[in-house]
Amino acid sequence: MTNAAVRPRDSLPKTLRPGSRAWIFFLLSVRNVLRNARRSLLTAAAMTFGLAVLLWIRALTDGAHESWVTGAVRIGTGHVAIQAPGFARSGRLTDRLSAAQLDTAEAALRAPDVAPLIRAIAPRLEVSGLASSAEAAVPARIEAVDPAAEAVFSSLPASTVGGSFLAPGDRLAAYVGVGLARRLALGVGSRMVLTAQGASGDITGQLVRVVGTFQSGVPEIDEGLVYVPIATARAWLGTPAAATTLAVLLRSSYATERVARAVRRRLPSGIAVLAWQEAAPELASAVKIDDWSGYAFLAILYVIVALAILNAVLMSVLNRRREFGVLQALGLTARETGWVVFTEGVVLSAASGILGIVIGLSVTWLLWRHGMDFTALMGSGDITFSGALVSPVIVPVFRVQQVLFCLAATLVIGVVASLYPARAAGRIDVAEAMKFDR
Amino acid sequence: MSDDNVVVRTQDLWKIYPQEPEPVQAVRGVTLEIARGEFVAMAGPSGSGKTTLLNLLGGLTRPTRGTVEVAGKDLTALSNRALAALRLESIGFVFQAYNLLPVLSALENAEFPLLLRGLPAEERRRRVLGIFGDIGMEGLENRLPGKLSGGQQQRVAVARAVVGEPALVLADEPTANLDSAASGALLEMMEHLNREYGATFVFATHDPRVTERAHRLIRLVDGAVESDVRQDDQRRPPAAP
Repeated sequence: MTNAAVRPRDSLPKTLRPGSRAWIFFLLSVRNVLRNARRSLLTAAAMTFGLAVLLWIRALTDGAHESWVTGAVRIGTGHVAIQAPGFARSGRLTDRLSAAQLDTAEAALRAPDVAPLIRAIAPRLEVSGLASSAEAAVPARIEAVDPAAEAVFSSLPASTVGGSFLAPGDRLAAYVGVGLARRLALGVGSRMVLTAQGASGDITGQLVRVVGTFQSGVPEIDEGLVYVPIATARAWLGTPAAATTLAVLLRSSYATERVARAVRRRLPSGIAVLAWQEAAPELASAVKIDDWSGYAFLAILYVIVALAILNAVLMSVLNRRREFGVLQALGLTARETGWVVFTEGVVLSAASGILGIVIGLSVTWLLWRHGMDFTALMGSGDITFSGALVSPVIVPVFRVQQVLFCLAATLVIGVVASLYPARAAGRIDVAEAMKFDR
Repeated sequence: MSDDNVVVRTQDLWKIYPQEPEPVQAVRGVTLEIARGEFVAMAGPSGSGKTTLLNLLGGLTRPTRGTVEVAGKDLTALSNRALAALRLESIGFVFQAYNLLPVLSALENAEFPLLLRGLPAEERRRRVLGIFGDIGMEGLENRLPGKLSGGQQQRVAVARAVVGEPALVLADEPTANLDSAASGALLEMMEHLNREYGATFVFATHDPRVTERAHRLIRLVDGAVESDVRQDDQRRPPAAP
């Protein structure tokens, strides 16, 4: 028996393609996240806290590495060292850059894609030799520098403990480490003789007067380094207008590879370009090891966070079996039902990620933008590392790349942790899920 | 019965659940046809297979053997995706526990099938509000399910089931959680929708109020059809003017 007189039906459109339902899943997901406010907040809190800690640790780790690297390169050969091939290994004057090569290198450093990244350029003529006074003679590393350029480049001028750093126009002047001065019984105004092998191969000496002494805190530098004006050394060693190294100090260590690559591209093969990682491989290894041990720690932290998310989302799925059954009864496919859960996880992760970034950056910036002081942990003695004094104050470094990495890590964790619950939601037995609990 | 007029056709339909110590035969060899616009009740004691048969007709579970056709399509031959599309376009469900989506308002719940079918918002609202007017849900459109009584939630569930103008509406114990006044109102509403929209209703029920008002009563015992009776029009209340 049927009803013949029924209302005429308007024709309804065919079902849309499933892809166009994405915004429906998004709507449901956002509503579900908001509906279970307490659960969502707890899950989000775990992710937000994890990301905030991750950002804080990365900012401090990067800050510490920047401090190590900057400290080492300002005393050493800069972030990028331009040298004659072979000098790094031989350390001999025969492996030096000519005036023409120096001009070529300086022109490359003036290129518009490189110049803005550079803080200072310092030509140096470095030889190993002997420093002697009336009291004693000790081996020394003699660095002939441009006083004006070095005042900006090196951290040693700021470590003066007696007299002053070399001044532009100084001729027969020397700036020596306190350890060396002590061993040679030198004071400001004392005379000393520097002896080294000149360009001709002959041993040659130069009388200089101590104008200042410095204390870097690094024993091997304080006991073995002498700075002299480069003009004096060029005349003394017979290397007019030459240098063994054109040291380049950058505004950020993170630009090293970019600058080295750009300069290398512009220079002929007779000029070597070394990044600090090549010039100081032990420091590069230390940074890398520290980085990876940090990542390992953070990976453990994130596995714990992922398990918390997995637990929260899975519990939610188990508690909402009937809801997912209804969605499938209404016409969603199993995969689409899984998408609803997956989208929920992604929405929650994205919201937590953004919140985590805001909190992580804000807290780190507000509390430690001027640096986090670890003096109490380091004790009273100086700590040196790879030829540089380690500062007890670590200033956090914020980088867009780092923030994006942390956000991506959080999203990946959220996505991975949502996959299994999404799969579980899609695989429910609809008829079983719809059973009424009597 | 001509093929054009048949909404549901089953042929030797079986559902056996593998279970220890021996499999459970929930539905045993059911063969039946239901015509467009029928108001059918399937009754029987608990465990007689009513809900399982309803799930088979709705494509929520697949038969162990036999065939089910709904709106001319053999459900057993459809992929899961095609089955989902058929449920959306041709089948409406009303459940004992209402099963509204808790995060959507009454209106959003009712329009959900139309949303999935891609109808514009204005058209969705027009259709839902028309039905809400018919079933006395005006003014409650924006309430969440948690803020509605059981009877109101079931009305929304019925509106959701019929809004897409499906060939078949399957209702599993729709009055079981309602008091007698709400049950009566709900049945009247469904009869009205049956008359006005030509919707085919199939109920699984224990409720004598439903079985008395059905045009056709199918009794199930132990998963098999014991009787299939077309009831006298006189026993049913007069149609609304």
